[in-house]
Amino acid sequence: MSSREALAELLWAEKYRPRTLDEMVDQKEVVERLKRFVKEKNMPHLLFAGPPGTGKTTAAHCLAHDLFGENYRQYMLELNASDERGIDVIRSKVKEFARTRVAANIPFKIVLLDEADNMTADAQQALRRLMEMYTATTRFILIANYPSKIIEPIQSRCAVFRFTPLPKDDLIGRLKWICEREKVEFDEDALEAIYEIAEGDMRRAINILQAAAALGRVTVESVYKVVGLAHPREIRQMIQLALAGNFNDARGKLRELMINYGLSGLDVIKQIHREVFSQEIKIPDEYKLIIADLAGEIQFRLVEGADDEIQLNAFLARLAYIGRKLRG
Amino acid sequence: MPRKIPWIIKYRPRRIGDVVNQDNAKKQFIQWLESWLKGKPIKKAALLYGPAGCGKTSLVEAAAHEYGLELVEMNASDFRRRQDIKRIAETAAKMKSLFARGKIILLDEVDGISGTADRGAIDAILELIRTTRYPIAMTANNPWDQKLRPLREASLMIAFKRLTERHVVTVLKRICEYEKLECEDKALYEIAKRSEGDLRSAINDLQAIAEGYGRVTYSLVRALSSYRNREYSPFEALQKMFNAKYIFQAKMAISQANIDYDTMMIWINEHIPTYYEDPEEIARAFDALSRADVYMGRIRRTGAWDLLSYVFDMMGPGVAFARRVYRYRWKAFRSPQRLQLLAQTKRSREVREGIARALAPRLATSRSTVKSEVIPYLKIIFMNNPKYAARIALGYNLTDEMVKWLAGHKAREVLMYMEKLSRKH
Ligand SMILES: Nc1ncnc2c1ncn2[C@@H]1O[C@H](COP(=O)(O)OP(=O)(O)OP(=O)(O)O)[C@@H](O)[C@H]1O
Ligand SMILES: Nc1ncnc2c1ncn2[C@@H]1O[C@H](COP(=O)(O)OP(=O)(O)OP(=O)(O)O)[C@@H](O)[C@H]1O
Ligand SMILES: [Mg+2]
Ligand SMILES: [Mg+2]
Repeated sequence: MSSREALAELLWAEKYRPRTLDEMVDQKEVVERLKRFVKEKNMPHLLFAGPPGTGKTTAAHCLAHDLFGENYRQYMLELNASDERGIDVIRSKVKEFARTRVAANIPFKIVLLDEADNMTADAQQALRRLMEMYTATTRFILIANYPSKIIEPIQSRCAVFRFTPLPKDDLIGRLKWICEREKVEFDEDALEAIYEIAEGDMRRAINILQAAAALGRVTVESVYKVVGLAHPREIRQMIQLALAGNFNDARGKLRELMINYGLSGLDVIKQIHREVFSQEIKIPDEYKLIIADLAGEIQFRLVEGADDEIQLNAFLARLAYIGRKLRG
Repeated sequence: MPRKIPWIIKYRPRRIGDVVNQDNAKKQFIQWLESWLKGKPIKKAALLYGPAGCGKTSLVEAAAHEYGLELVEMNASDFRRRQDIKRIAETAAKMKSLFARGKIILLDEVDGISGTADRGAIDAILELIRTTRYPIAMTANNPWDQKLRPLREASLMIAFKRLTERHVVTVLKRICEYEKLECEDKALYEIAKRSEGDLRSAINDLQAIAEGYGRVTYSLVRALSSYRNREYSPFEALQKMFNAKYIFQAKMAISQANIDYDTMMIWINEHIPTYYEDPEEIARAFDALSRADVYMGRIRRTGAWDLLSYVFDMMGPGVAFARRVYRYRWKAFRSPQRLQLLAQTKRSREVREGIARALAPRLATSRSTVKSEVIPYLKIIFMNNPKYAARIALGYNLTDEMVKWLAGHKAREVLMYMEKLSRKH
C-alpha cells in the first residue's frame, strides 16, 4: 500500500461494504438462498426488492463475487440508474453482452440492472424478450425499491427476494464493529439513537456514524447535531408557515431547501411526513391524518416522475387552506 | 396600495373618435346605427369582424356611450345556450317606452360558439335578429366558419383591419404621457412591430414592461420579445388564461403560448399566487396544475401523447376556473423565479452533480442517492473536521472546486491539509 493510500480515507459505507455473502449482515433467508445458488453454480433470473440501504446492491455484487471470484466484474454487465438504460441501450449494449459466448470457467454471465424501477416501460418490454432468448447463457439481476414498477411479465420471469430493514441488534452490532476498527469512542445510547433515526437503513446509519465521529466522541448530542444539520429544521418551519396560511413564505422556504440543501422532492415529502406527527405541529389528530394521506399521494406522484416543485406547492397550498379552515 | 387597473381598460376608447385607424369600419357602423335610430335599419344586425385587439368591442361600447344607448352585452359564460338567448330576445322584442333610453345589443365573440354545447344557439340568434326592435351588433375574429353562415347572411358585414404600426405607436405614446413614463421611441416601435396590429397586446406589453421595470427601453422590449412571434408570449398567455371567461379561451391561451408545455407549467406554478389571493382558490388551482403535471409525467414515461389534451384541460381551464367569482384581474406576470434561480445556482448544481458522479460508482448507488443520502453528511465532515476531510478528498480525488463547495468557510484549511498530505507522499 502506498503512503498516499494509507493517508487517504474513504466513506465507511464503501470501506465496510461486504465483499462476500458471508460478510453480509442479516437478510439471513436471502443470503442462505443465494449461497445455495453459488454452490449449485446455477440460478434463475433474480429480482431484489426492498427499502434503501438494506444491502440489495451489495448482495448482488457479493453473489457475483462468490460465483466468479475476484475478477467477477469482467463477467458482469452492470447498468445503474446513472447510466443510460433506455430501450436503445437494452437493444444494443445489453443484447450484445448477452449474445457473447460464456467463458469456459464460469457457468453464465450476469446482467445487473440496479434501480430498475426507474426504467421506462418500453425498455422493460425490450428486456423481456432478451431474458427468454439468452437465458441459457445470461442471468439477469434486477434491483428495485418499488417492485410494483417492474412490469408483470418481468416479475413473472424472476425469483423475487425481499430485503427488509435491518433489525436493531444487527445494525447496532455492525456500527460497533466499525467503531472498533476505526478506534472511535462512543456512548451506547448514541448508537441506539442512530438506529432510531436510520429506521433500518444501513447506509444512512453508517453515514451518520461517520459524520458524528468526525465531530469527536459519538454521543446522543453529536448524533442529533449531525442529523439536524443534514436534515434541516426548515422543513418544520415550512409546514408551520403553510398552516398559518402563509403560502408564499412557505413556498419560499421550499425553494431554499431544494436549492441550498439540494434536497429532492422525495426527500422533502418524506421528512414532511415525519414532521407532521411531531409534537411541534399543533393541529388536531384527524387533520394530521388528512395531511399524511395527502403526503402519501404526493410521494406516489413524485415516484411516478411528477415535478417536485409543482407537487409540493400543491401540497403546501392545501395545507394553507386547511390552516385557514382550522382558524375558522 | 391602489389596485392596479389594466391599461387596456383604463384607456378604453370612450368616444367614437378615440377609436383609431378604423375609418372605414367606423363610417359603416355609424351609418348602420343611425339608420336604426331613424327607424329604417339597413340591416337589423351588424357583424364586426377582424383580428384580435383592433377595436371591435371598443367601437360598439364607445358608440353606445356617445349615442346614450344602454349596452346589453352578452358574454356571460352561459349566454350561448338557446334559452339564454331567448331571454334576451324577449327584452329586445319589447317596444321601447317613450322616455326610456334606447338599447344596443352586443353579442361578443360569436365565433366562440360551441357546436355541441351550444346547440341551437345560432337558430336562437337568428330568431332574435328577426324579432328585435334594437340594433344587434356581433363580433368575431373569424366569421368565415361554416356554422356562422346564417349569421353572415343576416348581417351587415363590417371589416376591421390590423392597426398600422404608426397608429399603435400614437396610442402607446399617449399612454406613456398620461402615466409619466420614460419611453424610448424605438422601444414603442418595437412593441408595435411585434404586436402585428393588435393594440391590446401592445398595451399589455407596455404595461408589463413599465410595471416590471419602471421604464420602457428598446433593450427591454427586445429581451422580452425574443419568445414571441405571432403566438402568445408567456405573460400574455397567462393573462388570457387566468382571465378566460370560457373554457375554450383558457385552453387556447395555453396551446398558443410559444413556450413548451413544461416551461408553461413553470410559469403557471409561479403565478397562481400572483393571480389568486384566496387560500381556497390557490389550493384548487394548484390541485388542477398538479394533476396536469401527473398526466405530463405519464406521457413522458410511456409516450402516451393522447393524454396531452388532459394536460391542457387541467393546466388551463382547471387553473382558471379555480376562482370562486369571475373578475378581470390584470397582473404583472414576471419571468418565474425558478428559472432565474436555476440559472444563478447553475454552477453550484454542476459541482454537486460532479461530486455525485465521482461518488456514485464507488458507493454502488445512483447519483440521486448520493445527493440526498451522502453529500449532506460529507458536508458536515468537511465543515467541521478539515484534517479528516482532506483525507477523504484524496480518497475520492475531489477537485479544489468540489472541496470549496463542500467545506464552505473551512475550504482553505481543507486545501492546506491536502497540500501537506500530498507532500508527505
Ligand atoms: N445487509 C448488510 N450488511 C452489511 N452492510 C450493509 C447491509 N446493507 C447495507 N449495508 C451497507 O450499506 C451500504 C448501502 O447498501 P446497498 O448499496 O447494498 O443498499 P441498497 O439496498 O442497494 O440500497 P438502495 O435501494 O438505496 O440502492 C453498503 O455499502 C453497506 O456498507
Ligand atoms: N382602434 C382602436 N383604437 C383605440 N384603442 C384600441 C383600438 N383597438 C384596440 N384598442 C385598445 O385595445 C383594447 C382592446 O380592444 P377591443 O376590445 O376593442 O378589441 P377587439 O377588436 O374587440 O378584440 P377581440 O377580437 O380580441 O375581442 C381596447 O381596450 C383599447 O384600449
Ligand atoms: Mg442499491
Ligand atoms: Mg372583443
